[in-house]
Amino acid sequence: MSAPAIRVEDFIKRYGKRVAADGLALTVQRGEIYGLVGADGAGKSSLMKSVAGVLAHDGGTVEVFGTVIDSERAAEKVKQRIGFLPQGLGLNLYPDLSIEENVDFFGRLRGVPGAKLAERKNMLLGMTRLDAFRSRPMRQLSGGMKQKLGLVCTLIHEPELVILDEPTTGVDPVSRRDFWAILGKLLEEKGITALVSTAYLDEADRFHRVSLFHEGKVMGEGTPAELIARVPGTLALFRAEPQADALPRLKAQFPQTEAMGAWLRVFAEGLDAAQARAAVDTCLAASAPADTTIHLSDWFAREPELEDVFVAMLRQRGARLNTSLPADAPAAAPTSTLAIEATGLTRVFGDFRAADAVSFAVPQGEIFGLLGANGAGKTTVIKMLTGILKPSSGAGRVAGADMRSAGLAIKERIGYMSQAFSLYHDLSVVENIRLYAGIYGLDDRRARQRSDWVIGMAGLAGFENDAAGRLPMGLRQRLALGCALVHEPRVLFLDEPTSGVDPIGRRMFWDILFHLSRREGVAILVTTHYMSEAEHCDHLALMFAGRVVADASPEAMKQALIASAGQLLELRVDRPVPAQNALRDAGFANVALHGRAVHLLSREADTDRERLPALLDKAGIAVQSVGLRPLSMEDVFVQRITALEDAGRRSP
Amino acid sequence: MSDMTNGGLFSVPGLRRLRVMTQKELLQLFRDVALMVFFLYSFTGDIYLAASGVSMQLKNAAIATLDADYSFASRELASRFQPPYFQPAGSVADARQAIRRLDDGDVMAVLDVPPRFQERLQRGEQVSVQLQVDTSNSVLGFLASSYGAQIVGKYALEAAAQREGLAAAGGIAGPVVEADTRVWYNPNQNDAWFMGISELLTVVTLFSILLPAAAMVREKERGTIEQLMVTPLTSFQILFPKVVAMTLVILAGSAIALFGVLGPLFQLPMRGSLVTFFLITALYVFTTAGLGLLAATVARNLAQVGMLTVVILMPMLLLSGAWTPIEAMPPWMRGLAWISPLHYFLDAAYGILLKGVGMDLLWDSVLAMGGLGIVVFAAGMRRFGRQFG
Repeated sequence: MSAPAIRVEDFIKRYGKRVAADGLALTVQRGEIYGLVGADGAGKSSLMKSVAGVLAHDGGTVEVFGTVIDSERAAEKVKQRIGFLPQGLGLNLYPDLSIEENVDFFGRLRGVPGAKLAERKNMLLGMTRLDAFRSRPMRQLSGGMKQKLGLVCTLIHEPELVILDEPTTGVDPVSRRDFWAILGKLLEEKGITALVSTAYLDEADRFHRVSLFHEGKVMGEGTPAELIARVPGTLALFRAEPQADALPRLKAQFPQTEAMGAWLRVFAEGLDAAQARAAVDTCLAASAPADTTIHLSDWFAREPELEDVFVAMLRQRGARLNTSLPADAPAAAPTSTLAIEATGLTRVFGDFRAADAVSFAVPQGEIFGLLGANGAGKTTVIKMLTGILKPSSGAGRVAGADMRSAGLAIKERIGYMSQAFSLYHDLSVVENIRLYAGIYGLDDRRARQRSDWVIGMAGLAGFENDAAGRLPMGLRQRLALGCALVHEPRVLFLDEPTSGVDPIGRRMFWDILFHLSRREGVAILVTTHYMSEAEHCDHLALMFAGRVVADASPEAMKQALIASAGQLLELRVDRPVPAQNALRDAGFANVALHGRAVHLLSREADTDRERLPALLDKAGIAVQSVGLRPLSMEDVFVQRITALEDAGRRSP
Repeated sequence: MSDMTNGGLFSVPGLRRLRVMTQKELLQLFRDVALMVFFLYSFTGDIYLAASGVSMQLKNAAIATLDADYSFASRELASRFQPPYFQPAGSVADARQAIRRLDDGDVMAVLDVPPRFQERLQRGEQVSVQLQVDTSNSVLGFLASSYGAQIVGKYALEAAAQREGLAAAGGIAGPVVEADTRVWYNPNQNDAWFMGISELLTVVTLFSILLPAAAMVREKERGTIEQLMVTPLTSFQILFPKVVAMTLVILAGSAIALFGVLGPLFQLPMRGSLVTFFLITALYVFTTAGLGLLAATVARNLAQVGMLTVVILMPMLLLSGAWTPIEAMPPWMRGLAWISPLHYFLDAAYGILLKGVGMDLLWDSVLAMGGLGIVVFAAGMRRFGRQFG
């Protein structure tokens, strides 16, 4: 048998004192789509660069197609067989060259002969639907189009192995789905092997096999299903009233308990569905004080997701999920006071309407999510509401005052955390906190108190004198949150607060947000491109092309999708790409490839479950299993936006 | 709506804001190792080099002689080209060789003595010698030709006096006008003082533009500026602490340059009030920092700040009179010089350090500098406000 495409053993990479990769090992077979899944700084990029032969490593073996990559010369030997797309949207492309010029450049760089180059270029640009924009300069492309062009340039010399470093980061869900579909098809047709990394755990099921990365180590390797099976347990979704009392009790027994809007989500490790229900009931009954009873309703139990399993693995290795928030603080009295009120907010840049008559309302104590692709106008809205940007028309009222006329006093009632966790990297943790305390005019005694609170809340004890720039992402993010909270604002604005943070960090972050909203009555407006996080919000507004196109709770949005487009069916098959084609031919509009499985929306789920295996069997495709899957917010998002885009095309 | 906690600029929280912001700027600056090394070098090593190495005086200029006379008189004349100004560098055989040595840069001047020089001199005829000078460096060339003319002139006068029988021991016993020069402020005409102070002012100017602009654009790059915009800070409270912090640091740098380099190593006199000098320097830094902040509102990253600094710095230096007296400029440039704050600072700095003058003579420069400063800072605030308001 020929050598595997990639074999890595004991891979070690250091940057100065920092160990980026600590004894990684993995094997990628030919024809496989292999995923590296993990947060920023987990070691994915270091490994990929070494495999691509552009970064020297400090220990271990890297073998590509049987050639040991241990020198510049060895790397040169296999480079012609490799295509590498580095991280960053379009960073390897030339912004001033057109699509066609970029492709031609990479083709000639790789020595592809003229006729072949033209033929491949037409084929690839056709598949990626970029051929209509051949002469458009790359810098004018959207994030999704840039990534597709990057893929074309990576494939132009027909490599046998493609290495794609976070190709979907920063790309909106619709373009992301599109990208996966194209990639899956191309790889299948050409028999190419792919090594792909992603920071989104929910993308793991796009791969045949994955390695879970955490802090320079591989936590587990296998098919997504195998990995999920590694930590048996039940995922329970239910409502419990009062939620704020139920959460800390459950958390004491089940560390992986999260609040998702009005719902609670509990991973009961090692228990089956019935045992889980019993354990949750006992827990809520036993720990309830005499004067409160907790009512449980709407119970659903299902198989855990990869993220639950990943977090469980990290916990087994000693990761802690706790922050030092007081569990027994009184719940904030429910109020109907509006914390944020946007009415017809509009911002025009030249002839571009970045925000177009945006209206919504957020009561005190609610977590409100603003969802949308890059460039949909989320950041513009936040900037107008925080007073960084003046609206062209419309008004924003925050904490009871009009942002345009309220002046500086209003700014003491709001906190803001921007996309970049804009801390002063060269200042220490304490210096950052004290700086913001001083800026908000806190006196020394208050500043000390709040500084202690932030350090406790964010789990920063022991890091007080470290430079903020040297903290791991999760800590840096909670420090930024702490700085935005130092003056105890009533309204908190968070612009993409969880980019690049690992799952443990993300959970702790959402715990804090939940505490703030339920216990302290803070209103929170958050934007995110992690669709799985949207489910944490009480209420969502979906933005598209500067407008709010849907405004409801996550649950209501899912129900609406089921009503209009049907339920989500998952079919595990032996040949996914032909299966996808066969299902499309059978009239299903939303068929998506997920590794070895195919997802589709079905209005008559029960009959389709019965009839689809036979249908595929006729096409010579064996179906291993068919099952219903819960809809994700990503499904909702993609469905809504695709519908709007189609409508936009029909009536321009 | 009345505003209890925000308070005015000079309320307790208002002053606390200025204080924490200034502290922050200083901390950030001190932690930027590369910038600090550059800063310390500029205020010590660079000034030392400028004061000790750079000289606009003519020293040991190599001079060759093309002597077609070979007489006592021609040798006497040639031998008068001596150090410190000139350094004899042998003789050349013909005009072509003379040109070649000038072309090579091997000699800076060639003294060309015609045939029958001594004979014609003794006969009382008019005779001329030629001095060919390499003036690619116009200042040195000018000095060489004028010193040369002086030497020849003196020789001619003595030769004439001798012929008329008016020669006396050590001079001329006849009706001659002696020019007696009194050199004030820098009696030894020590170049180090002028060059040292001039370099110090250049370095002060450089950092007054660069530091605030770099601090500002770093906030833009990191996105911290937006974080500051959502706090109750006014534009003034964001910008002014940067200027204060940078002024403090640059004053410290100037003190190091004066008391660590120019004073002990070059015996710079520092005749006037140092308090006045530092106050005026502070005012100057404030004025120039305004330009830096203005630049930062245009620049998008640190590299652009670097380029803009050069673009601002060069004309400021050229127009200031640091390199050429303003009186020697064409009229339209002279007009521009009045709006270069460096022009006033130069007046004040030389005045205080070398002449020992005080505010009674400098008040107009100070007033002009302050006025410019307020205009520039206000313009910077306005642009900043427009960008982020």
